[in-house]
Amino acid sequence: MSNYGVCGDYKVTYQEDMEIFQTRFVKGWLYGFIVFLYVIPLFMGHYALYVTNQIGIAIIGALGINILTGYTGQISLGHGAFIGVGAYASGYLTANLGFPFWIALPCAGAVTAMFGMVFGIPSLRLKGLYLAIATLAAQFIIEYLMVHMEFITNGVLGLLVPSPSFGSFTIDTDLRYYYLVFTLVIVLTIFAKNIVRTRPGRAFIAIRDRYISAEVMGVNLFKYKLLAFAVSSFYAGIAGSLWAHYVTIITPEHFTIGVSVEYLAMIIIGGMGHLLGSIYGAVFMVLLPEVLRLVSDIVGGYLPEVVNLMAAIKEAVFGVIIIAFLIYEPEGLAHRWQMIKAYWKLWPFSY
Amino acid sequence: MKRTSVWYLIVAMAAALLLVGSPALAAKTIKIGGLFDITGGTGGVGAPYADGVRDCVKSINEQGGINGRRVELLDTDYSYKIPQALAAYKKFKNAGVVAIQGWGTGDTEAMSPLVTKDKIPYMSASYSEHLTNPEVTPYNFLVGTTYADQARVALKYIADTWTDKSRRPRVAFIYNDTGFGRSPFFDVDYQKHHFPAAESYCKDVNVDLVDKQIVDLRATDATPQLLNLKKSDPDFVIVQETGVMSVILKDAAKLNLRSKFFALNWAMSEKILQQAGDAAEGCFWTNPFGLWGVDAPGVKAMRAVTEKYRPGQPQIVNYIQGYAAMTVMAEALKRVGDNLTGEAVKDALESLRDYDTGGLCSAPITFTKDSHKGSMGLKIYQVQGGKLVPATDLIMLAR
Repeated sequence: MSNYGVCGDYKVTYQEDMEIFQTRFVKGWLYGFIVFLYVIPLFMGHYALYVTNQIGIAIIGALGINILTGYTGQISLGHGAFIGVGAYASGYLTANLGFPFWIALPCAGAVTAMFGMVFGIPSLRLKGLYLAIATLAAQFIIEYLMVHMEFITNGVLGLLVPSPSFGSFTIDTDLRYYYLVFTLVIVLTIFAKNIVRTRPGRAFIAIRDRYISAEVMGVNLFKYKLLAFAVSSFYAGIAGSLWAHYVTIITPEHFTIGVSVEYLAMIIIGGMGHLLGSIYGAVFMVLLPEVLRLVSDIVGGYLPEVVNLMAAIKEAVFGVIIIAFLIYEPEGLAHRWQMIKAYWKLWPFSY
Repeated sequence: MKRTSVWYLIVAMAAALLLVGSPALAAKTIKIGGLFDITGGTGGVGAPYADGVRDCVKSINEQGGINGRRVELLDTDYSYKIPQALAAYKKFKNAGVVAIQGWGTGDTEAMSPLVTKDKIPYMSASYSEHLTNPEVTPYNFLVGTTYADQARVALKYIADTWTDKSRRPRVAFIYNDTGFGRSPFFDVDYQKHHFPAAESYCKDVNVDLVDKQIVDLRATDATPQLLNLKKSDPDFVIVQETGVMSVILKDAAKLNLRSKFFALNWAMSEKILQQAGDAAEGCFWTNPFGLWGVDAPGVKAMRAVTEKYRPGQPQIVNYIQGYAAMTVMAEALKRVGDNLTGEAVKDALESLRDYDTGGLCSAPITFTKDSHKGSMGLKIYQVQGGKLVPATDLIMLAR
């Protein structure tokens, strides 16, 4: 019987209520899924691996912005730039100072966290749209620095970054990188889950829902808002570092305002304030352009006259799908998944 | 259950996506990748370029292919986004392409370590000087004259035609803050190799550099930058931009700027000329390619091909650029014979000596083991009476 959730609340301790895996079935299924994640890449080609790696990196970035925007309610339009800070920090440490990757990775996270805290300071005074504009400014300032601080970033020529290596073992293939990225995805997802269900996470949610009440309850707004920026930027830094060491050359053109908007779109589509939302959103936003491109290439192959038109339609469809999601699934894919689960849980005897 | 069926569709599409990744059989075809920008920031010039490459491939196939093999162009639009360009690259690699026709500076540079590792020759539409040293980027090739060379030709022309002996000519640069924009003007150290550019060349030809202005590629107004230019009062302005050139020319006419403009290859075309109208009158243009109406065998053959696929549609210079790049690549593919590997194609490209494209490229194409600058010559054009007219004969540079 333990395969099913019980119909009603029979929890008698707080521990039980806080459990991540409410049933043994879920736990087993999740372990099975992790095993699946580690086996499946052996059967994938370079392209599929690249797309999944991109998804993995996007998941880490999206976890970060979800903690800031989804949980703490602070809109950030500078996430793409923070990812860039992480990428350049990691690149500079490994390429110019000779740090090994496994030290550069957390350092990149820490450096980005500091940047995030600096640019998070206006959040103490600014809210909503005003904060969005302030973080937008951060995006442009950092972009400018990436182009003009040539002694660190090498400007528009791009910074060459070595592939990660542990001793003599170099992670320079898509397959090896997959294991690196997905191990970090699992670790960081667990970390994020534990942040949001402990004291800081509850403080974040309190700030999001009503900051005055939160302050009255004794939540230190200054501390927790900056903490949210720091954690979010730390994730961005890790994502940036992984991206840098994956593509092995980075230029400021990788980290434009478009990237920031894409990350924001990821959590809106996936579900703000759900960690699963970050994952679904990342999968969706990375796959959608690839699927659309596949379709437009196939159609273009049969009808060569309209190939340029198809490319243009592809961009329009991308927009339409996102609008459709916002209208029909405003709470995101995570919510849709809960609905599907609820449907099958009660099937065929729904209320 | 309408919604559920939508979900099935999405799952099916995702599954199809994974399946496409499997390597296909290479039977009697030559696979090459085509990475184009049709819908992104540079789509205005990218779409005709892509058409040029495609039409060239189509006509090769109609004439029986290369050494009896059909050329299969796996082309895709990456919207000028680097992650999507990389995704497309991995797809090409899966499919086993032997060469790639690529596009922008940012993505070509991002992929140059990868193509070097995977040994896939990569011909870009970015004519950046630092992609031409085989010691640094052994698999990158360009058929155009590099941006830095174009700017040097422009400066040399300015110095040579300068008649006022009482002072030296005053020059300004307009560019955008990207790899593409800065490439012609600023000296760089790229992977421990020094690449000089126009800024340092000014001194060599006794030209004074008086101003530098940044105009974004997607700007809709260039008045502030041009007002600054009016203060520094240059005689000539060298411009590295794309479609925004028409805005610059119009704003300059509005402000009565006396400076003459010198467009590098992407900053002028029949389309930009049409958009700028009278404001373009007198503008110079360094163009390493042929134009639609040119009376040369290669261009004539291309016109016949284009007339067949796109009747009654004269094409702009960007189309000819794509057509030329593919023509040069096809010649290399012909030379490799049956040994279809990336390394062999690279060697074949490096065996090209003064390969004549029949006017598609202004100068003959040569690649060597020491230099991947394909074209060392160009003509300077000038807008006269609303038409692009050659102002000089072919100018050849020393390699």
